[in-house]
Amino acid sequence: MEVTAHDGYELPCGRDVEQVWRRLDAVDAGLADAHELECPHCRTAGEGLRRLRRVTGELVAEEVAPPAGLSGRIMAAVRAEVRRREMIPLPTDEPGAVEVSDQAVASVLRFAADTVPGVRARRCRVRRAADGIEVRLSVAVSAHGFAAVRLEDVRARVLAAARSRIGVRPVRLDLVVDDLYDA
Amino acid sequence: MDVEQDGKPAKPLIAAAAARAATAVPGVARLEPGFTGLLAAAARSLHRQVTGVDPVSTDGVRVSFEDGGARVEVDVVVSGRDPAADVGRAVQRAVARAVREDTGVTPAAVVVKILDIAT
Repeated sequence: MEVTAHDGYELPCGRDVEQVWRRLDAVDAGLADAHELECPHCRTAGEGLRRLRRVTGELVAEEVAPPAGLSGRIMAAVRAEVRRREMIPLPTDEPGAVEVSDQAVASVLRFAADTVPGVRARRCRVRRAADGIEVRLSVAVSAHGFAAVRLEDVRARVLAAARSRIGVRPVRLDLVVDDLYDA
Repeated sequence: MDVEQDGKPAKPLIAAAAARAATAVPGVARLEPGFTGLLAAAARSLHRQVTGVDPVSTDGVRVSFEDGGARVEVDVVVSGRDPAADVGRAVQRAVARAVREDTGVTPAAVVVKILDIAT
């Protein structure tokens, strides 16, 4: 685009920004004239325009190929926003509060249940209660070799995990066996 | 960055002190930026390219002034080795101390949100 000096933004030295812009490559190639080497206005404007060109160039490039790790960071942000929805208060004496995502608690409890042989954790719902948390955990158990005693193991491990890994008191734990698996 | 606003240290200063302190607490895996942090990171990258100045990361920290007191919110992911409640309390204490020492402001409330526990 041809821009006349009249349309451009004139620098205090009399040259205008469009002229500096057009001359950027020549100056970078070592073809600067005496004025361009000496004039602080032209040099400052040139430096600003170079940065602008670099940034806009990179933004355009990003349209084509997102930077590595961007989608991972977006997904991490999405998960964080989902987890932020329901928070469980944890005990503290300090001014303010400590809260933990109900889904983070549920993952820890499901993991604890999974450590019992012949048991696979399925859904886990954690709710805040007056003095701790209420948990409803459903599990699938192995169709072979399952004995009722394992449910007590599940209960013990889930309660222990809530206390030792979260630091919260489960005031109620409902264990539901809602499926069998063939293994 | 303004050092003071209405006689109070600027929010970015408080947030930077809080972020640094929270990250250093044993049991904290990382701060969790969330959407706001992602946008802030993009803005920071742009800022760095345009000005050549690298602003401090305060991802995962929000600062507000209410009823004359500073409220600092910190979003973290904990490592899962120590009880989450203990780590959360340690973050509260570390953040309150760092903000007081670095800015002279004693936070009225430090709210720690544990968004994930590494298993």
